[in-house]
Amino acid sequence: MGKEEPILEIKVLKLNFHTYRGEVKALNGVDLELYKREVLSLVGESGCGKSVTALAVINLLPENAHILGGEILFKGEDLLKKSKDEMRALRAKEIASVFQDPMTFLNPVLKMGTQLEEVFMLDTNALKSAAITQKRQGKKISYADFLSGKMEYKNETNNMKVSKDDVKKTARALCLDVLQLVKLPDPERVLTQYPFELSGGMRQRCMIAMALARRPLILIADEITTALDVTIQAQVLHLLRELRDKVDASILMITHDLAVAAEIADRIAVMYGGNVVEVASTTEIFRRPLHPYTVMLMRAIPSVTKPVERLESIVGTVPDMIDPPSGCRFHPRCPYAMPECKTKTPELKEVAENHEVACYLNR
Amino acid sequence: MENILLVKDLKTWFPIKSGIIQRIIGHVKAVDGVSFGVRRGETFGLVGESGSGKTTVARSILRLIEPTAGEVYFDGVNVTKASRRELLNLRRRMQIIFQDPYASLDPRQTVNSMLTEAMKIHGITSGKSEAYRKALELLVEVGMSEEHLYRFPHEFSGGQRQRIAVARALAVNPDFLILDEPTSFLDVSVQASVLNLLKELQKELSLTYVFISHNLAVVHHMSDRVGVMYLGKIVELAEKNALYYSPKHPYTFHLMAAIPVPDPEFRKEEVLLTGDVPSPVNVPPGCRFNPRCPYAAERCKVEEPFLIEQAGGHWVACHFEIDFKSGERIS
Repeated sequence: MGKEEPILEIKVLKLNFHTYRGEVKALNGVDLELYKREVLSLVGESGCGKSVTALAVINLLPENAHILGGEILFKGEDLLKKSKDEMRALRAKEIASVFQDPMTFLNPVLKMGTQLEEVFMLDTNALKSAAITQKRQGKKISYADFLSGKMEYKNETNNMKVSKDDVKKTARALCLDVLQLVKLPDPERVLTQYPFELSGGMRQRCMIAMALARRPLILIADEITTALDVTIQAQVLHLLRELRDKVDASILMITHDLAVAAEIADRIAVMYGGNVVEVASTTEIFRRPLHPYTVMLMRAIPSVTKPVERLESIVGTVPDMIDPPSGCRFHPRCPYAMPECKTKTPELKEVAENHEVACYLNR
Repeated sequence: MENILLVKDLKTWFPIKSGIIQRIIGHVKAVDGVSFGVRRGETFGLVGESGSGKTTVARSILRLIEPTAGEVYFDGVNVTKASRRELLNLRRRMQIIFQDPYASLDPRQTVNSMLTEAMKIHGITSGKSEAYRKALELLVEVGMSEEHLYRFPHEFSGGQRQRIAVARALAVNPDFLILDEPTSFLDVSVQASVLNLLKELQKELSLTYVFISHNLAVVHHMSDRVGVMYLGKIVELAEKNALYYSPKHPYTFHLMAAIPVPDPEFRKEEVLLTGDVPSPVNVPPGCRFNPRCPYAAERCKVEEPFLIEQAGGHWVACHFEIDFKSGERIS
């Protein structure tokens, strides 16, 4: 990973939730960069703010959320300053997302084919020019061509008429192509089925297919394998790895499972109590974890390849975010806590190449 | 070693009813002929994907669900034929800890009344002060303190709730505990402390555990011997390291290969299973794994393999011996 311009940059994002019990200080200045064509994994326990960060990027936060400060830069523009309509257009095209439970995101009364076609229909012009190209060249346009925008007749759409039927046919053909891309067996049949007729793994593949149909620059994957069985999880992870190479997208993968992150990510960002506490490349962070929380988290999970007699647990519990600890939010559970940890919040600092830590120990 | 629990050809089928007269039109064969023994003092792990019947086995053993057929012996006593009175006595010795600590604790009872109620029912303590002392002892044992005794479940975190559930199970001095996914609702940092607690308690009180989980790494950490379930049957059963490092059944092999490893430098071969677990209503004929098995032969589609002991203590339900490196069937 060279030092190129990040495609997405989150700068000191602060966010609170209003609740009856008080202000939940969910994000406490999150800093994060996502580079082109990389898989970045956000890892943390429940309530650490990993999903909230993702939701803030696509502006799908619940109503009681209030952004206190910070910037989310995408293509040089601050997403937090965009209007609702602009964000909607962005979600439809450039930033796609897939969530944990596919059943709540698929429409239960529409066939998969209808739902998938609709996504292609969003970009009518692209679809029209694809149909025209197809007609002129006399050969089928594949999803790969569609993706790379190899449609020559972009500005001539007016002088060449395509019937609605043709456009629809093109969309259908593309649907089949994406479904094949996500390795769904018998894609033609899937198009005629309703979501309830599909298994969990198949639904999740359909969700990924729908996300890909938008030709996104960024794919946000929020706990997408959590509800799946291990063998199906392995299939989906394998698929994501393959897609990253085929589709020109960056993936922001959110998971609570360090092992899953190790399997797929180029870089890993560990979150705790609304802060990113450590970011490094996957090999680096496993070889040389520096933040006490990362170290302890790694020792707390049992591994089949390196069995231990006793796991090391982290004392205490995840902090209450209404009244979070002062200074570094990990200090009450940290065995190395120093006086200054209670008063000052450490910032992310680069300690080695591509390795940033927010801890006073490593200064 | 002596078996404390013996399960013989256990079957639990759930009827599927339809129409106004609720005619039975089929069965969900959740558990379809499971046999195994659990040795005194060991932890027996049971793994499998969702719908493989792990939880149903656990509940059938305690008769929280009535099994359809088969027998369960606990310390020589036939549990499946026990009367209500005998069952009460058996349940004092066999306890269970459930997956979801948010659902398994009565929200309107204090911790104290939860712990003492079980003691009262089984006549373990005489008088309130003794019950109180014992409840306090238990709470300290699971790593909590006196101030927690008169609180309600909603005042606790997930990890604390699970500790209370453990204390409640231990209140009646059992010697056998079924742990049904005890940590799957907990965060990893908390999971470690609960697993450590369970291990310590086992040593201290010489308990026997049946540990059920879909998390293969956790089962490996906790168990001595492990059984792998697929669609209501045990397909392989062995000492944990034999099972994890040299599996013999093709399903186990693929299951182990699918475990995500928290070590990016550990490069493993990519072996992926195709397809999903079939529905337990229409179990495929022959070996249940044959539609997904890359090594399936004609014989697998007709004849169901028995669970046979291949090497010392390594039981496998497969017609063939397979060399997974070359992908060849040996016999």
